[in-house]
Amino acid sequence: MEAAAIPVRRSSRAKRLVQPLAFMATPTALLIAFFLAPMLVMLGVAFDRGLLDGGVGFNFTLTNFTDVISDPLNRKVALTTFEIATTAMLVQLIVAVPLAYVIAFKAGRWQVPILLFLVLADELNPMVRIYAWRMLLGREGLINEGLMSIGIINHPIDALLFSQFAVTVVLSTSYLTYTVIPIYGAMKAIDGNVFEAARDLGAGWWTTTRRVLLPLIAPGIFISLLLVYIPLFTDFASPALVGGTSGYMLGNVVNDYVLEAGDLNRGAAMSIIMLGLSALFALVAYRLARINRLES
Amino acid sequence: MTADGGDGPMIALERVCKRFGEATAVDDVSLEIGRGEFFSMLGPSGCGKTTTLRMIAGFEEPTAGRVWLDGDDVTLTSPRHRNVNMVFQDYALFPHMTVAENVGFGLKLKRIPRAERSGRIDEMLAVVRLEGLGGRRPAELSGGQRQRVALARALVNRPAALLLDEPLGALDLKLRREMQLELKRIQKSTGTTFVYVTHDQEEALTMSDRIAVMDGGRVEQLADPKTLYEQPQTAFVADFIGTSNALRVSVDRREGRHAIVEPAPGFRIVVPADCPVGGELQVSVRPEKISMLAGHGHGANGHEGSRIEGVAVERVYLGSVSQTVVELPDGDRLAVHELNDDDVSEVAPGDPVTLLWATRHSLVVADALGARP
Repeated sequence: MEAAAIPVRRSSRAKRLVQPLAFMATPTALLIAFFLAPMLVMLGVAFDRGLLDGGVGFNFTLTNFTDVISDPLNRKVALTTFEIATTAMLVQLIVAVPLAYVIAFKAGRWQVPILLFLVLADELNPMVRIYAWRMLLGREGLINEGLMSIGIINHPIDALLFSQFAVTVVLSTSYLTYTVIPIYGAMKAIDGNVFEAARDLGAGWWTTTRRVLLPLIAPGIFISLLLVYIPLFTDFASPALVGGTSGYMLGNVVNDYVLEAGDLNRGAAMSIIMLGLSALFALVAYRLARINRLES
Repeated sequence: MTADGGDGPMIALERVCKRFGEATAVDDVSLEIGRGEFFSMLGPSGCGKTTTLRMIAGFEEPTAGRVWLDGDDVTLTSPRHRNVNMVFQDYALFPHMTVAENVGFGLKLKRIPRAERSGRIDEMLAVVRLEGLGGRRPAELSGGQRQRVALARALVNRPAALLLDEPLGALDLKLRREMQLELKRIQKSTGTTFVYVTHDQEEALTMSDRIAVMDGGRVEQLADPKTLYEQPQTAFVADFIGTSNALRVSVDRREGRHAIVEPAPGFRIVVPADCPVGGELQVSVRPEKISMLAGHGHGANGHEGSRIEGVAVERVYLGSVSQTVVELPDGDRLAVHELNDDDVSEVAPGDPVTLLWATRHSLVVADALGARP
């Protein structure tokens, strides 16, 4: 052996044990500093009486939560938020499933370019995207001007912008990339012959979709729900810019508690309630996805 | 089961062509498949056999020609409205359904009542010997069992014809042999017309009533297995079915109805062909039809067939037979198969040998279609 020619650096046993920990230390410290610590602070603030007794020290209370929950306005906003988020999610699924199907099975050599385009579309600054929608939907926007010029309407439709409709439209296009890609992934795992087999056995396109395609992509749809439905609930930029008063969402409530009213305690309480609901939803979706994976 | 009437063929292809852009996959194929027949399309990959099958199934539309099923023109009928069912190469089972749900899929779509449906599913699972496995999922089955589910899923619909696209390709050799017999048994017991696509000549010979050997999108020869083997019409068929020795010879003289090739003493090939002196022939001889004697200078001893002296250059033991490669004076090489019984010769490389075969075993084949003399 000529091992001597190439000196091999041997690490000691202790070093081998410590080294991975050392590598882990920095990210762990960062995680604690920038994620866990603010979370704990927020928990503290949410259960603190705060400004009510001059803001000195920590005084445990549940009033922040009861206040937030019992406020009828918040309940109404929660309902609006649920409507907007669910509609936007459904619209995106209805667009994403056929789109993913085309990319996975029909696009051929355009498969990767289309995927890249989807990712690039997501890279577009959300502000730019939202303002683009304002230009389309506004009183003097392209849609109103266009409809008036061909004489379908006489006066611009104001409800297009600063409404629940506007928020739904904008949010329906905001997360399309994250809806399509998991579904596309699930489709790539399918043996395309099963569609021919279904046709051969007498199934039309709708039966094939319902009995073969949808059950097989269910795990992908659950991941899409996790990635998109939860952020839809907490979004506040889109409703703030195109929502007006009727498109006001829970994210704006938190925003207003904290930035407008300076009420950190209720803002934190609201955030924690939303976080809890998201976690619950994630858990349910995860369970369902797991059940489905076991089956297939 | 498929007694829909009529004595005509179950499937007929009439001058069917299929082009994909510039490439011609199927080139003017006409054939008829009888009722209850086990019909195979055999050929190397890219020969057009799968495309032909897919045109029968309805997954491809012919560029030209007609497809007839049970007397009806189905050329433009969609697969879901054709009374044929397909067994796919990788089975294409629905992974999210149980075996019983897979098998019952077609019946459910035909709105067969639940009671009758489950009766027919059980009956079909018994035919393919999967009793009691109806509740399993495809992932929990072995390759051979999945194959049987795919068969049951197609056969339960009582199709006019069952189309099978290399269905045994994914199985190992032993299981493949088992399934070959099983397929034949199922075909006989159900009386269904089977159209079977394969590139494995042994598989086709074992199971088929008739075989269409295909190459380059055309049918080279359509015959029963024995005829294909004993009387191949083209060099391609002779080479593709079994092994064969190809010889290109020119006729030196004629003796009665036979053409004689005799370029030198000790080199005489007799061919049963109507070829004029000086004409060229492509001759094929099966290795097992040649008998081999050690040494040169054997008398004719009444042997009227071909007789060539050569030198053994290679000997390989192949189990039931031994193969000897013999080099002829003109440099051609012939393979000879001897049964490894008690009389097997002890020829070694370098030994002079004499090869004899009967006149009828000199098979005249065409270079390609239509080029037959």
